[in-house]
Amino acid sequence: MTGPNLVRLAVLTFLVLVIQSTVGLDIRVGGAHPDLMLLLPIAAGLVGGPNAGAWVGFGAGLVADLFVPAPFGLTALTYTLVGFGVGAVLALAARSLAGVDGNSWWLAGLVALAASVIAVMLYAVLGALIGQEQMLKLDLGVIAAVVAVPNALLAVPAVRAMNWALGVGPRGAEHRVTGSRS
Amino acid sequence: MAKPRRGRRTLTTVVILVLVSVSIITLAQRGGVGSRVTSGLRSAANDVFDPIQRGVDNLIRPIGNAFAGAVNYPALSKENAELRQTVGALRQQVLEGQSVRQQLRQITALEHLTYLGSLPTVTAETVAIGPSNFADTITIDKGRSDGVAVGMPVVGAGGLVGQVVLAYNHQATVRLLTDGQSKIGVQFGNPANLASATGQGQGDPLAVDFVVPGTPVKKGELLTTNGLADGEYPPGIPVATISSASTPAGAGQISITAEPVADLDQLAYVDVVLWLS
Repeated sequence: MTGPNLVRLAVLTFLVLVIQSTVGLDIRVGGAHPDLMLLLPIAAGLVGGPNAGAWVGFGAGLVADLFVPAPFGLTALTYTLVGFGVGAVLALAARSLAGVDGNSWWLAGLVALAASVIAVMLYAVLGALIGQEQMLKLDLGVIAAVVAVPNALLAVPAVRAMNWALGVGPRGAEHRVTGSRS
Repeated sequence: MAKPRRGRRTLTTVVILVLVSVSIITLAQRGGVGSRVTSGLRSAANDVFDPIQRGVDNLIRPIGNAFAGAVNYPALSKENAELRQTVGALRQQVLEGQSVRQQLRQITALEHLTYLGSLPTVTAETVAIGPSNFADTITIDKGRSDGVAVGMPVVGAGGLVGQVVLAYNHQATVRLLTDGQSKIGVQFGNPANLASATGQGQGDPLAVDFVVPGTPVKKGELLTTNGLADGEYPPGIPVATISSASTPAGAGQISITAEPVADLDQLAYVDVVLWLS
């Protein structure tokens, strides 16, 4: 990852953080609110593959950890695994299926939906493992739905923004995922 | 050969990032230097980000309201129709007057919390509902510069609201007593029976533990903080009223639930009690 990429990633992370802490927190359904920061590792996994997904997840997670009253590092751990998972699954799919493209709107939406649900469950399970058992008692279905639906709807603009941040063209995403660019 | 090598490198990277994350969690959880560092980082980040957030919030609040309105559209439509019929004649001036009076009532109520005795307090306004889906918290507009510190109790007009868990320069995060991490030493009845009230999540009653079978328990009975020497709250603050009690066969304790005395949906203003155990 180059210097300009890091600057663009920092700008993108800051923008998403501002949107999350203002508009995102104003939207409440069943006591839960969207988690737009989660879009960053998902989009990075879609655009840049498992390595970029993991790095962006770690960075975005650490930033998110600064602002949530939960064990510090838990969001970083969850986002790292989600970013890596999205990139790895997409790379595996690209090897066995022709035409898998992280930039396609339907795939981006579908992956964001599934990855968000998994991220919410993973966060609760990891939280329980480090002594926050109450996380498993919450209405995880409602939280997962409130997190996943906005992320699915915003997946395409998030992927476009991540293409810009990582300095990858729309075609580049396909190449990264399928591994055809050496 | 390039691909497997790249795959291994990616896997190594992820393993390292996971290990770093786990190390950070462990250091932050264990207390000591790690905890102080993360708490300092959070405080600095909050102090830097707060003015930006407030500025942007003021600029784009109408957009947020529009989103919120779109999400809650069916409920809002119904509510709108009812409101149009019932309060159509009311003028804006009257509404504003009512709003101001309501705020005044809340603040005035906070001025007369007899159960606090002579304990000093700081009145704070709630500026945000918790930023995490996994913690039941609120953010208030008073912080370290106002004497607020981690561990201080927070009360509302009705009783105990929660406890300060993070304190920044000009803001603080309060964990509500309904949060699953909240545990409060309580007492009830005469002579006083000791118990522990634990949060069960937003909107759910508290679970009251360690009451042995045979202890007289009355529905509606008030639970107050017990103020034991190593407790986290001063004695006598109303916490909750018992809403149900039953003893399952063979159980080692009575199964008790209790509803918080403070109305946690009306927390526009709260009092931070400047008291530490």
